[in-house]
Amino acid sequence: MGELLQHVVNALILGGTYALLGIGLTLIFGIMGVVNFTHGELYTFGAYMMVLFAMVLGVNFFVALGLAIVLGVAMGAAVEIALLRPMRGADIDTTMLVMIGAWIIMQNSEQWVWSGVAKSVSSPFPDEPLVIGPVSLSWLRLFVMGAAIALIVGAHLFIHRSRLGKAMRATFQDRDTAALMGVDIDAVHTATFALGSGLAAAAGALLGPVFVVTPTMGNLAALKAFAIVILGGLGNFTGAALGGFILAFVEELGAGYISSGYRDTMGFMLIILVLLFKPTGLFARAERIG
Amino acid sequence: MAEPLLSLDGITVRFGGLTALDRMTFAVAEGAVVSLIGPNGAGKTTAFNVITGYLAPSAGEIGYRGRSIVGLKPHQIAARGLVRTFQKTSVFAARSVFENVLIGLHLSGRGRIWEILLGLPRVAAEERGLERRASEILDFAGLAGHANEIAGALAYGDQRLLEVAIALAAGPSLLLLDEPVSGMNPSETARFMAMVGRIRARGVTILLIEHDMRMVMGVSDRIVVLNYGRIIAEGAPAEVRRDPEVIRAYLGREAAHA
Amino acid sequence: MSRALGLAWLALLVTLPAWMDDPYCLHVLIVTGIFVIAAMSLNLLLGYTGQLSLGHVAFFGIGAYTSALLSLGFDLDVGGGRTLLVGPHPVWLAMLGGVAVAGLFGWVIGRLSFKVRGAYFVIVTISFAEVVRLVALNWIDLTQGPMALNAIPPLSVSIPGLWELTFYKKVPNYYVVLAVAAFSYLIIRRLVRSRAGRAMVALKENEPLAASVGIDVTHYLVVAAVVSAAMAGAAGVLYAHYVRIIDPDVFLFIYTVTMVIMVITGGKGTLAGPVVGGLVFGIVPEVLRELAAPEVQWIVYGALMILIVFFLPRGIVPAVTGLWARITARPPLVERRPAE
Repeated sequence: MGELLQHVVNALILGGTYALLGIGLTLIFGIMGVVNFTHGELYTFGAYMMVLFAMVLGVNFFVALGLAIVLGVAMGAAVEIALLRPMRGADIDTTMLVMIGAWIIMQNSEQWVWSGVAKSVSSPFPDEPLVIGPVSLSWLRLFVMGAAIALIVGAHLFIHRSRLGKAMRATFQDRDTAALMGVDIDAVHTATFALGSGLAAAAGALLGPVFVVTPTMGNLAALKAFAIVILGGLGNFTGAALGGFILAFVEELGAGYISSGYRDTMGFMLIILVLLFKPTGLFARAERIG
Repeated sequence: MAEPLLSLDGITVRFGGLTALDRMTFAVAEGAVVSLIGPNGAGKTTAFNVITGYLAPSAGEIGYRGRSIVGLKPHQIAARGLVRTFQKTSVFAARSVFENVLIGLHLSGRGRIWEILLGLPRVAAEERGLERRASEILDFAGLAGHANEIAGALAYGDQRLLEVAIALAAGPSLLLLDEPVSGMNPSETARFMAMVGRIRARGVTILLIEHDMRMVMGVSDRIVVLNYGRIIAEGAPAEVRRDPEVIRAYLGREAAHA
Repeated sequence: MSRALGLAWLALLVTLPAWMDDPYCLHVLIVTGIFVIAAMSLNLLLGYTGQLSLGHVAFFGIGAYTSALLSLGFDLDVGGGRTLLVGPHPVWLAMLGGVAVAGLFGWVIGRLSFKVRGAYFVIVTISFAEVVRLVALNWIDLTQGPMALNAIPPLSVSIPGLWELTFYKKVPNYYVVLAVAAFSYLIIRRLVRSRAGRAMVALKENEPLAASVGIDVTHYLVVAAVVSAAMAGAAGVLYAHYVRIIDPDVFLFIYTVTMVIMVITGGKGTLAGPVVGGLVFGIVPEVLRELAAPEVQWIVYGALMILIVFFLPRGIVPAVTGLWARITARPPLVERRPAE
């Protein structure tokens, strides 16, 4: 029983960061219709920014975190303006190719600058875990969970309360009408990509100190983000949030009770099953006809 | 009336709370030209979508030559002989006019995949036959001069003619035309009406959605009038013109057009 | 013009070993040739049928592993204390097995693609390839996992019991790959210029219209997927018996990316596109290898891709043929001016 509880807690903690990854990608997918291959790289970028600020430059941990997220947002905006905006009218595969090119450049730049050696980020939290009954919780991981949830709530508020957020939702529902009503689609696209990238960078910055930072860490993260988007349905914020937790649970429990070697496969098998039986995602509300 | 070619019985289509078609019942006799008219949003294209399998009805039956076609996929319905055109101009825009018609001739070909891969001579012979027929169809539609042009670059009126040519290539016994002359000027419309006559002379039954009343009155044997998903009148053109329900539905638009 | 050019190319490639005997160059050409076959197969699915299949490397790897395992023989514990014993088979039989199994998986993906479209399909295919990679990595009993399958027998043809011809050296392998590549090109050409090929293009360009003239969309998606997967499997089979050692890295996403790059920059939906793209992106890395660190090579690669997409959006082959048409079209236009 204690073991189960530990798995559940681990899953909750992991789920928060997975949710951040998934939400970022589903927004980009849903509003812009772009298959964002750079999403994993923004995750890696966030982690390396932590290495840069917290380890190399000796900046305070929490300030470094803030900086990593802000720079993630800026990087996302830069990618959108430089690469996606010129591709606005092109077909989906040429856009995909540009994104793949950007992914290759980003990942290899990281490899070149930082080398392939794994880097670690130390945190100001005590090493000794907090023990409650049979469950042991590391302070760092608790902080990560809290920060992830705070960011999810923040993103949700932004999308539902701010003017830009409303414009984003309008564009998602009906792009043409939104444009006719005066919504600046260019700005919406840049903001969406920047927000999504910022959330990915946040996930990387939070998980960097928990695990280690390597140039290829983004690949698996990206694949999981795609899985979460499928689970939750394209463009579905809540769906992606829940999907992140579901994936984390499936992984934790699967790795714990079935086989740890196949841990990463659990997520993919889950997506393939969902796509076979409920392709619009587990939480889709809208009915499409014809 | 002898057994009708196409019969709809109680066809109902509901989208959530909205009823798009309400117990629609009518029949089309073989060799006839029937027009489906009504104000915008009356459900005419929805009816086409249900008949040709792009939309499943919530209730009701559709029979073609006595056999039910509800639940069949669009390509299966086309194979039975019902071919439709689309309200928004629909051609294979990046292909040449000739290729467009060649694609339309799909159902006339029989070559199996393994025969194609092996490069058997009967495949090449069949290809030549299809190419000859494509030329004939282009002549019939008056598009022979444009055969090598890219379909997307054609003038609007010619694109609409191409649409009909593609549909004819599929060898229909019932042709469903969705607003074929919308956007055409009077001389293009007259040319089209003449082509309808020629299509009819070849034994093809026609079901037509149109707003252009001159054309509708000019070619139709019977008219079915739809409003808010329900049939409100049905009969010969002269009767339908005088029907008070119809006049009310159009609020004098018909008088202005005629 | 293209007929003559094609034959000229073929003549050049056939006589190549006579005047180029640097084994490293031959090796590069052989591996490039294998990638060209894979790229042609992806072009059928991506370029002609318009399916964004990003899991293509899975078919390549499945073909490779199946053929390797069948030619080496294997035993598998199927539970309940029983063991499935598969003896080693002649290489040519193992190769056919590899192609067939790859084709079978293609059938599965083809059926799936009807239910699931666009961006979702991209994700499904990527996930599928990842799952296959992880299975290959973890199912050590069968695949040896990261320890790799080695000592795979080389390419050979045989009549059981009577005669066997084995290709140990590079030059015969080069010719086998060239032959398979030429054959694959021919198959794709026949398919694409047929009624079936037109149906595939039609369903890509305007699916509702295609259905309205009787084209069974699912059927043609499946056909494209099966032919495409089988051909990629054939490329994988050649790879396994040429390099004679394979590990789960053969399923890495980066190889799918390489094939996609070859198809799209070469010119998707054209016959010569994947060949040109394959040659460019198969040979350029080798040239760059001498000049710079691997990461820098990849950065140049990525930048090159982006530039080609920005400036030659339809790919190299359509750009070149367009240019050629403009150059050669001018004289005839002058002649056609009416003399009045």
